[in-house]
Amino acid sequence: MNAADVARVPGPGLGASGAPRSGPLRWFRSVGLMLRFDAGRAREWAAMMAIVQVMMGAGMAITYGFFYPVITPLVALYIVTGTPTLALIPLGLVMVPIGVSQQKVEGTFDFIWSLPAPRTAQAASTFLLWTALSIPGLLVAVAISAWRYGVTLTVTPAIVPAVLLCALMAISVGFGMALAIQNPIIVNLITNMLVFVVLLFSPIVYPISYLPTWLADVARFLPFYAMAQVVRAALTTGIVTDLAHWYGVVIAWTAIGWGLTAWVVGRRR
Amino acid sequence: MASAIRLEGTAVPRPTWRHAYLTMTGWDLAGLRLELPLIVVVQILSGIGFVLGIGLFFQRIPAQVALYVSTGVVVLNLILVGLIVGPQNTADQKLAGTYEYLRALPVPATAAAGAWFTVALIASLPAAVVSLVIAELRYGISFTITPSIVPAVLLTAFTGTMLGYALSHAIDDPMRTRLIAQMLVFFVFGFSPILYPASQQPPWLATISWWLPFEHMATIVRAGLTTGVVSGIGRSYLIVAIWGIVGTALSARAVGRRA
Repeated sequence: MNAADVARVPGPGLGASGAPRSGPLRWFRSVGLMLRFDAGRAREWAAMMAIVQVMMGAGMAITYGFFYPVITPLVALYIVTGTPTLALIPLGLVMVPIGVSQQKVEGTFDFIWSLPAPRTAQAASTFLLWTALSIPGLLVAVAISAWRYGVTLTVTPAIVPAVLLCALMAISVGFGMALAIQNPIIVNLITNMLVFVVLLFSPIVYPISYLPTWLADVARFLPFYAMAQVVRAALTTGIVTDLAHWYGVVIAWTAIGWGLTAWVVGRRR
Repeated sequence: MASAIRLEGTAVPRPTWRHAYLTMTGWDLAGLRLELPLIVVVQILSGIGFVLGIGLFFQRIPAQVALYVSTGVVVLNLILVGLIVGPQNTADQKLAGTYEYLRALPVPATAAAGAWFTVALIASLPAAVVSLVIAELRYGISFTITPSIVPAVLLTAFTGTMLGYALSHAIDDPMRTRLIAQMLVFFVFGFSPILYPASQQPPWLATISWWLPFEHMATIVRAGLTTGVVSGIGRSYLIVAIWGIVGTALSARAVGRRA
């Protein structure tokens, strides 16, 4: 055995390539590798996704305005500051579940699970990538909406954590739901119903005081109003109160999404 | 001397138009037997959803807004089956090969189209009625139903169905048909003054809307349900009818051409 051979023998705890076989280091390395893998595949649909987001986000924002005989500054402000939420909900609740369903049908899903990367790292990569990809469409949607209603927004630095957290939450909930429900057709049905109900009955583009009490209570518990509150707080002053509470609701729903994901990826089939 | 070859077969009498129409209606209903109840339920739920949901946009919904929404929802209910489900259904038939089979049947094209129009009406009317009842209960609107509601509903559903029919037959690629149908839904729902007056749109969009059938469908249906709300009814009937003829002509051209 010469010196060159010795150098090729991996140290304890390292795989054949010299990479760590377990521990946090391996997990982070796996996330990085999965990100590269996912980003490569995302090149096919990322642009399409941004376009759909702009159409849904800006389109909904413009459409809502048509219903008002007179658009007061308050109505305009509510619609414009609700636009980021409008651009995130279809993404998390429709596009993510559809993406997962498609992967399941094509077999890509099983292939990814068979890769030698921890499944939590695979999920983390999905969350990170989708969150990053959701931002361009969102920005364009908000710009169109603000221009349409002539609203000048007072953007505070809080918008960065607000939007990132809300995007992460919407994606986590959509992903967890798509994973937990086995049948793609049922996922499709549920997401479509959900988006319709959410976009019509959630106080995203109007004050929650317009809702009947019981519906307002339901809305306070669900993630959509909380999302709108968190984002609105970062774009306005004096409208949103009790901000910490709404952050708490969004974080709780993110945890629910992760919990569902962990529950599904943790069990063997 | 070679005698002329005579082809003989049992003479099969051509089915009458009425027979063909009834058979095709039965065929379409049977083909959609799984989807039809679901379509009706989704139509009813979305109708109720719009009637109730738009009301939440306001502290106190103005009577005029409530009236526009509740009468506009009827139009959405009437045209969505023809405009969306029709093209989707035909796209499925093209993929499954059923489309070629149906075209080979000795059925007059008008009978096949008439049958599909009937099925679209069957799938639409329950939702339209439920939407009106819910609107009446929720907003206390009392509709004044006049006999003109009958031609208004028939013409609206006919034009919607024929435009969808033209779309599904004129475009060969099923995926493209689906995509265009989806875009159409987005446009009709979002940017057509069906649930609100055109005056609430920017002028340039209102001008485009004026040339399209959707606003006028809402006008004629509204005229059949209310008094004194809409004007220019004759013109609206004309524009919807023209679009109905355009849809029929495009369908006839697409169905009549040989593959």
